[in-house]
Amino acid sequence: MNTYNPITALAVFFALSILVYLLFRPNRGWFWLIKYNSASNDKIVVEDVLKLLYHNENADKHLNVNDIIRTLKYNDRLILDCINKMSDHELISIEGDAVKLKKTGIDYALRIVRAHRLWEKFLAEKTGFKEAEWHERAERMEHELSKVDTDILASKLGNPQFDPHGDPIPTNTGKIATVKGIPISKLSTGTIGRIVHIKDKPDIIYKQILAENIHIGSLIRIVEKTPTRIEFHSEGEAFVLAPIMAGNITVSVLEKDVVYEEDLARLSLLGENETAKIIGISKEIRGDSRRRLLDLGFVKGAEVKIDLLNPLGDPKAFLIKGTSIALRQNQASKILIKKD
Amino acid sequence: MKNNKIDHIISLSNDLRWQMGDEFHDSLAEGIYADAAEIVKASVHKKDEKGAFRIDARIDKIITSKVWGFPLMFLILAVVLWLTIVGANYPSAMLSGLLLDTIHPALKGMASSLGMAWWLDGFLIDGVYLAVAWVIAVMLPPMAIFFPLFTLLEDFGYLPRVAFNLDHLFKLSGAHGKQALTMSMGFGCNAAGIVATRIIDSPRERLIAIITNNFSLCNGRWPTQILIATIFVGALVPASFSGMLSLAAVIGIAVLGMVFMFLVSWGLSKTVLKGEVSTFNLELPPYRPPRFWKTIYTSIIDRTLIVLWRAIVFAAPAGAVIWLISNIYLGDVSVAAWLIDSLDGFGFLLGLNGVILVAYIVAIPANEIVIPTILMLTVLVTGLTAGSGAGVMFELDSVTATGDILRAGGWTLLTAINLMLFSLLHNPCSTTIYTIYKETKSVKWTVVASILPVIMGFVVTFLVAQIWRLLA
Repeated sequence: MNTYNPITALAVFFALSILVYLLFRPNRGWFWLIKYNSASNDKIVVEDVLKLLYHNENADKHLNVNDIIRTLKYNDRLILDCINKMSDHELISIEGDAVKLKKTGIDYALRIVRAHRLWEKFLAEKTGFKEAEWHERAERMEHELSKVDTDILASKLGNPQFDPHGDPIPTNTGKIATVKGIPISKLSTGTIGRIVHIKDKPDIIYKQILAENIHIGSLIRIVEKTPTRIEFHSEGEAFVLAPIMAGNITVSVLEKDVVYEEDLARLSLLGENETAKIIGISKEIRGDSRRRLLDLGFVKGAEVKIDLLNPLGDPKAFLIKGTSIALRQNQASKILIKKD
Repeated sequence: MKNNKIDHIISLSNDLRWQMGDEFHDSLAEGIYADAAEIVKASVHKKDEKGAFRIDARIDKIITSKVWGFPLMFLILAVVLWLTIVGANYPSAMLSGLLLDTIHPALKGMASSLGMAWWLDGFLIDGVYLAVAWVIAVMLPPMAIFFPLFTLLEDFGYLPRVAFNLDHLFKLSGAHGKQALTMSMGFGCNAAGIVATRIIDSPRERLIAIITNNFSLCNGRWPTQILIATIFVGALVPASFSGMLSLAAVIGIAVLGMVFMFLVSWGLSKTVLKGEVSTFNLELPPYRPPRFWKTIYTSIIDRTLIVLWRAIVFAAPAGAVIWLISNIYLGDVSVAAWLIDSLDGFGFLLGLNGVILVAYIVAIPANEIVIPTILMLTVLVTGLTAGSGAGVMFELDSVTATGDILRAGGWTLLTAINLMLFSLLHNPCSTTIYTIYKETKSVKWTVVASILPVIMGFVVTFLVAQIWRLLA
């Protein structure tokens, strides 16, 4: 029994480990692929086509059958079958080459959009998933939520008006708030505005914007604008973006009488012997984290200063309302202050 | 009519909510704070507290300084552990002298004078009583020293500063700075460490702390590590260095435990736990003189006795099982011998042996009885003359004699090292498992916390054994 080759044993072990890795690695493991693909059926394709048409019609673009086939990553046959079925069920009308949504189709599409945006709101408020993952998870979940599920979800979240990207969530009667705003790329130098929406598509640009630490709700002032770059100041920091990124950030321009205060800063920029007053907490801090900070006293008007620095640099302890509270850098960067 | 009204109210409330916007909670909190500030201004008169505040600030400057912060922390941890391990030896020896060497024979004598059947006497006295007595003798003294010391530090206000100093390291692995405290508490007892995770208020980080607490070497495992390191690792070098080397080996295992704790924390926060809510904040309370007697009282009642009681409840049936498997026969071999034989092949593959695996299965209730069980089972299968019969756990006063028995059982340096690794990386004891369930209220996380370390133990000992055999 005790005579065997350790090399064989190691080889078997590594083969097994690689197999387990291939099956279960995050996102592209075979197990997950099989699980998600077996779920992709007519319903999902129909709903994706409806959503695509809805978003394009909102932007006044009209698609034909070929556009749809090109945009969606399903088997061509499957898409064609689904389009025919949809036309039979009076969801869409096909006039010549152009595909248009009918009233029932628009209602259906709105329900999917509602489910998607509510789920993103849910992920933002009630879970710890990273922002970059919300969209993809909602893309899967929107097909699984029934109308009743969606309504229950909405009331649990307090019937929110906007999703975490700033997109309006349709009500269960199909009412939809309008977002008034202009992309940063179209603003002129000197304009002051508040970021109201950050587009979560395409993925690459969205992730770049997230990496820049730009948040919804921040006040900005355009400082410089050239065809290749746009510079703006926000919360004590300067940001430089390429126009393609700036085009994905929507800003609502503020009325003339709102004063833009240049000396606003983020709490993370507070120096050791400085004191400051808190202006507010960024919308990027949500759910439990936000409530906890408010409960600890990080509210508008509270005085704050640094109490203790850390031997490793992070977190720092802030003295607020007579108590020393340690916050990490990524939290402090989302609290707005005005230095005294 | 009535329905109409309800509908009207609902639609009205929806409209109002729509107009009110999302900032309602913020405004409410601001309003409450503004009111509170006004009430405070009108009714609270402060004395000039600058003096007290300055002392606080001065202590803080030293404790969180770049130069002194970390050395001070390690020094305090080392002193607490040293006091616990060394200080517990004396009361432990007294207790085991009383419970194992005096009361046990007396009970046996009483049983035989009453004419009790051998199986009843064996089951109750050699099985149940002995396991319970063992757990008390080994577990009670270190806990009664460790927990009060720890609670005093906590009460003084030092521990939150440790969490503050170390938070950055824990953040890198997706955990909370306070995990440093629950981990240190785990050096005393994992079950108590898991109860202590209540101080972490963020759900994701708390689960991470619960699942990884088992990687802190607990009081029940320190003696095993020290014994095996002394017998096998210390023997590698001349006697004058052997103490140093075996100490280094034990510390190495404890540090390895911390490495695994960070790695597993990182892995969990990036995979299965990434959807759990994560928040962070850490309050640094002002220093205050510890309330000495109150602390001693509460830490002994709340922590030590509760954990001890749970351990006894679980150890009693384990003692019974250990006695039963050694005394019930299948054909002409005992259940224990049969189990050992069937696990021997797998054990050998891991660089361990069947005896060790069986001991770890029956000793799930308490790590304290692993070594006595291993000794008893080794004697059982080798037919040596030591101990006092099948199913009666024993330990020898002489380290050399213990080593002789183990070597007779086929132990090598590889077996010893892998036992030390497996003692670090195996399922938590049943007291801890039960506590995990009580704290998480989730079967899923209890199973993960119990199975994950065993799998890691198998993998690590397996790899060590193969590489060892390739090189040897």
